[in-house]
Amino acid sequence: MATDYHKTHRVEEVKDLTPSAYIVRFQKNGMQFQAGQNLNLGLKGDTEKRDYSIYSPEQNEFLEVLIKEITTGLVSKKLRRLQEGDELEVDGPFGFFTISGESRKKNKFLFIASGSGIAPFHSLALSYPEMDYQLIHGIRNSDEAYERKHYANGKYISCVTADKSGDFHGRVTDYLKQNPPDKDTLCYLCGNVNMIYDAFDILKEQGLPSSNLFAEVYF
Amino acid sequence: MNMSDSERTRPVIERMGYSWTDNEEEADLLGVLACSVRQKAIDKVYSRIHKWNKRKDRQNLLTFLTGCILPADKVKFMKLFDIVFPMSELQQLPEMISQYGIVTPVSLQQSQENIDYRNDRLKDLKQKAGSLKLNEHIFDFWHVDPEYTSHFEAFVPIQNGCDKFCTFCAVPYTRGREVSRPSKEILDEVQSLIDRDFKSITLLGQNVNSYGLDKNGDEIGFPELLEKIGKLGNKSGKEFWVYFTSPHPRDMTDEVIEVIAQYPNLAKQIHIPVQAGDDKMLIRMNRKYSVDDFRKIIKTIRELIPEATIFTDIIVGFTGETDEQFENTRKIMHEFEFNMAYIAQYSVRPGAVSSRWEDDVPVKTKKQRFHKLTEDLTRVSHEQNKKMLGKTYRVLIRGKERNQKYLAGLTEGKINVRVPSADDSLIGKIVDVKINIATEFSVAGEIV
Repeated sequence: MATDYHKTHRVEEVKDLTPSAYIVRFQKNGMQFQAGQNLNLGLKGDTEKRDYSIYSPEQNEFLEVLIKEITTGLVSKKLRRLQEGDELEVDGPFGFFTISGESRKKNKFLFIASGSGIAPFHSLALSYPEMDYQLIHGIRNSDEAYERKHYANGKYISCVTADKSGDFHGRVTDYLKQNPPDKDTLCYLCGNVNMIYDAFDILKEQGLPSSNLFAEVYF
Repeated sequence: MNMSDSERTRPVIERMGYSWTDNEEEADLLGVLACSVRQKAIDKVYSRIHKWNKRKDRQNLLTFLTGCILPADKVKFMKLFDIVFPMSELQQLPEMISQYGIVTPVSLQQSQENIDYRNDRLKDLKQKAGSLKLNEHIFDFWHVDPEYTSHFEAFVPIQNGCDKFCTFCAVPYTRGREVSRPSKEILDEVQSLIDRDFKSITLLGQNVNSYGLDKNGDEIGFPELLEKIGKLGNKSGKEFWVYFTSPHPRDMTDEVIEVIAQYPNLAKQIHIPVQAGDDKMLIRMNRKYSVDDFRKIIKTIRELIPEATIFTDIIVGFTGETDEQFENTRKIMHEFEFNMAYIAQYSVRPGAVSSRWEDDVPVKTKKQRFHKLTEDLTRVSHEQNKKMLGKTYRVLIRGKERNQKYLAGLTEGKINVRVPSADDSLIGKIVDVKINIATEFSVAGEIV
């Protein structure tokens, strides 16, 4: 759904990562945002809009979103057909899945993502490279380890379910069971709701207070 | 919010020379202030406009629609109503009506000019379907002097729109982003109500306690606004109660609660919507707080304002809600001892994120959960009301009950009170009532 708050941003590039995932890069037009926030966007004039986390870091001169194409989706298929120079309507930034400067300095973070839920963590990790974090990413195949080279050595752990090509063979929840975080770790979860629910239960059983758990569900 | 919108619509229409009628059949101008919170309300609008349009064969009639409308609904309604506009454009209503001619509505006149106008509006709307202007004129709307429907209760809008994007709600798409009304205007309106001896003033907004945040430091925040109102109250020396609705738990700071505790005119009643008592449901609803966060708010209220009543909103049967998750919501009803809860069975609202999910809790289950939770509320509320027995409370008398033998009123904490009296002169006054009967959702007592 679109409103007068949607501003026009010109597309700079659409980059395929896998047969079903791609990045749309578009003009920043001076937008200020905090890593972890999201945008509501869609084609110009189209009433169908969707929310996507910002993938690019705060300091870049452009904005990027990471999109997983949904075969039955109304928006993700259209966005994939965008070409350089096409116009997008963008509203935002929104959301509170962010980390304050004070918190970044004093805390240790565990980022838990499934699929394209890695997007806000990509933005956080690249915006604040000094942050003490570990990122675990649940994916089916290794080719879904989107741009893993962007993360500092040892920071990114892929949990691959289809084969043993990942850093860990199994789901992120299996990884969590075998590698419980320290109880004072702040855990940020992003991805599909089932993964978040399961991870939430495991982390609570491991003694982490719910005040240390933050979630952004992808629907 | 609808009451406040209505109070601002009425004077605009009256200034055009219209007079109000309670008889729909004799009206020349009929309008709807829509609410998109639930689909049922929008369905009623469709039903009503079809009925009205049938009347156009035999009567001059002009119809308009405003309020909370989704862009997709708006395009459809443009074909059914003569005029459709966002509430923020209320000031332009006379101009829109003049396009049709006040005396001879378009349905009978059908001049080429009017047909062109209507077609242009429809075309324009369709072209702008991707960029509907929701809040462009909200500041003009706030400048409309309301015609209060009561001489002792008033609603003052302080903020419009929502940035929270709860998955069950379409308000961010119907009302747009959060926009705060200038504090000077709010304080002037509140002062004017105090001067006119209003007894109950409710500050309105979709997220009242995020007031000022959209101004990036150029406007005071919600606690400061409350404090200034509290000071106006102290200065006046008058007895009145200021409420606010609705706040979002995420923005419910200790500072807000401290200010309420400090000023006598800030009512000791807090309506804070929890929506669910289970962390996973709160995640799915995108509420951005946990049950623990909510627990801390309740604890602070109980510590700083022990006499405060606490009201809430709860949705049962939201997509994916399991029996266990529902039971967690039942637990908080008892733990937090809400004085009142507005419980809703989840229904899909087109335009909200959850409208794209399967509404997978069966209607029967929703009804069962609704009844169970209502029973819980009944017990909790009754226990709270029993604590009032034998005590004397200040009660604002609001009117007569149907049987005319009782007056009906509200305590500062918004507990319903019945008083055996037929004295009309007490309506609009605050009186002392000693409570001698406590039922599930109300109390009764004698004026002392």
